[in-house]
Amino acid sequence: MRSRKSTSTKRGFLVRKDEGPSLLGLAFSIPPLLLVLIFVGLPILIGLTFSLGFTSGPNRVVSLIGQQIHKKNHWWGTFAAYSDVIHDSRFLGDLGLTLFVTILSTILVILLSLSIALYQRLIGGKKSSLLVTLSIIPLFVPVVISAWAIHTFYGGDGFMRSFFSQFGINFPTLTSTPSAIVIGTVWTSLPFAILMISSGLQGIPDALIESAKDCGASPIRVITNILIPLAKTPIIIATSFTAIGILGSFTIPLFLGPNQPTMLGVEISNFFGSYNRPQQSLVMAFMVFMIASGIAIAYVWSNVKSARESGRI
Amino acid sequence: MTMKKSLALAAATSLALGITGITAPSSQAVSQTIQVYISADTNIQDLWVKSLVPAFKLAYPGYDVKVTFDLHGDHDAQETAKITAAAVLHKDPGVDLIDGGFVTTLGAAGLLYRPNAGLLPNIKDVNRAVLTAGKGGIPYRGSSVLLAYNSTNVTTPPATLDALLTWIKAHPGKFTYNAPSGGGSGYSFVQTVVDKYLSAADRNTLVQQAAPDLETKWTDGLETLRQLNKYTYGQNGTYPANNAETLKDLATGLVDMGTVWSDQFASALKAGTMPANIKVAQISNPSLTGGASYLGIPNSSTNKVGARLLANWVLSPAAQNLIVSGTLNGFPVIPLSKLDATATAAFKGVDIQNLRPGYLSANANDLKSKWASTVPGK
Repeated sequence: MRSRKSTSTKRGFLVRKDEGPSLLGLAFSIPPLLLVLIFVGLPILIGLTFSLGFTSGPNRVVSLIGQQIHKKNHWWGTFAAYSDVIHDSRFLGDLGLTLFVTILSTILVILLSLSIALYQRLIGGKKSSLLVTLSIIPLFVPVVISAWAIHTFYGGDGFMRSFFSQFGINFPTLTSTPSAIVIGTVWTSLPFAILMISSGLQGIPDALIESAKDCGASPIRVITNILIPLAKTPIIIATSFTAIGILGSFTIPLFLGPNQPTMLGVEISNFFGSYNRPQQSLVMAFMVFMIASGIAIAYVWSNVKSARESGRI
Repeated sequence: MTMKKSLALAAATSLALGITGITAPSSQAVSQTIQVYISADTNIQDLWVKSLVPAFKLAYPGYDVKVTFDLHGDHDAQETAKITAAAVLHKDPGVDLIDGGFVTTLGAAGLLYRPNAGLLPNIKDVNRAVLTAGKGGIPYRGSSVLLAYNSTNVTTPPATLDALLTWIKAHPGKFTYNAPSGGGSGYSFVQTVVDKYLSAADRNTLVQQAAPDLETKWTDGLETLRQLNKYTYGQNGTYPANNAETLKDLATGLVDMGTVWSDQFASALKAGTMPANIKVAQISNPSLTGGASYLGIPNSSTNKVGARLLANWVLSPAAQNLIVSGTLNGFPVIPLSKLDATATAAFKGVDIQNLRPGYLSANANDLKSKWASTVPGK
């Protein structure tokens, strides 16, 4: 970091450039850097070495207790645990379900929050404010509570089935199906996406929309050519955060999903706890981490792009 | 208190106890703290915090008991690691007495202080086989998985496993058990079906030691379970996530039959969350599993004398009465003749001294994993 210092002289202020790296700035940035290195970087590194079969040092105790532990047979380790996971009959199903739920739920969340935010931006009024307020409520309900609420609503003895049976209709039991996971994840992810996208749309000046309308643009054209392009950054941020959140979800698929296949968040916990295979659970965690990194790259790219457009870098 | 001092004190007290035969707590000049670690459901927390600890402190005013509680054993792996690491590094693990499923694992790893009748006089009343199975753990209460049934719809419950399997196929959608990784009651049904195809010797080996070679013999049992998918409650072979969900499905009448823990069922009945028309029975040939819960004193504990005193007291008739009555409704580990007759009336028809044990945890973990990859949704 370079700093500029001004010194007062008789003629006014003299600006001295390029003092070199500021020690003060460095001193300020070291504590958070160390914190991240020690509490995030180091555990990831130790986890990576354990997944590759380094079973001594910090991994000694966990390898004493865990089952089906593979020890390294090359200087760089072994891929045996990775091979275990890839050849496990459960893994492909779990990965498929995880990707399916993540993609479908993210699309649904973004479409729903876009339509609510556009409704509020273009039409406005009391009704739209009420709609936005209502849709934010799940933000204040703990996930475990909402999971049970959805469970009792769509379960075998739930409200939907009881209600429809009054009219002789056999409503399907949705719990223990991927549909219930999608309902649950959309329910819990919607508020954040709405907050993000609606604030992005609110920031677009009225003048732009009005001048487009004056030139005869249809509402659809206003949305596709003005509102969505100008709100692109918050939409991408909302999409990537929603997708990463759903990818790592645990409570919703545990309570609402089928036993098998299940989402990787639940399977990692099963492998770590119930099956006592810490190495294999770490391997799955790294795979989830890889997918999440892919999503994160989209997020960073969008941030860089918007910063460049606004001239910050 | 430094380690040296506490060791000296421990030596002094053990000498004193040796002379007086563990009966002279009032002569304790220094108040001592016994650290108890409990890894279980809330009913066990209540047992300790509301019944056992207050009664123990009344009997032994020189001692203070500090209870650490871990719900559902979520941190069993970490606690096992901590105690293992403490033993390796010769450090204080911060625990003197453990009540949890991982006690036998610690015992098998040689990390527990071995109980014997000289140091724990009350252990002479405990069933030998149960004590041996603990590998250093001290059995202090029992519970069993039972078959719960809706007596309004089922007049005579199946008496054997074969009869139960026939009943399940004759009544589609009316039986359930929870996923074995989610709770012991569902796990017990899975092990029982798998055991049907194993010899007595093989079953015994799986209880005693890690035996990966025998796991191929589970195939028949797992196939039987897979074929039950279309007859159990839930579409495409889906199962309740945990013990509580099975109880809920029985209470709301979604299913007519399911496997439940004896103590959880009795507590629910007493609390009124389980209707009175739901009853329990044991099946035979093979029976559903059950067993003792064990207390463990880590070798590295800094207050082994206090822990031993508490463990010995828990095996006394006074404490066993508290386990049997109260809200827990646990099985005692000492003969019923030594206990309050009115409290033990509930055990009529259930042989509480000869419970069929579950597998060693390493084998049980593998069975849970195999079930998940071969049964649900297949």
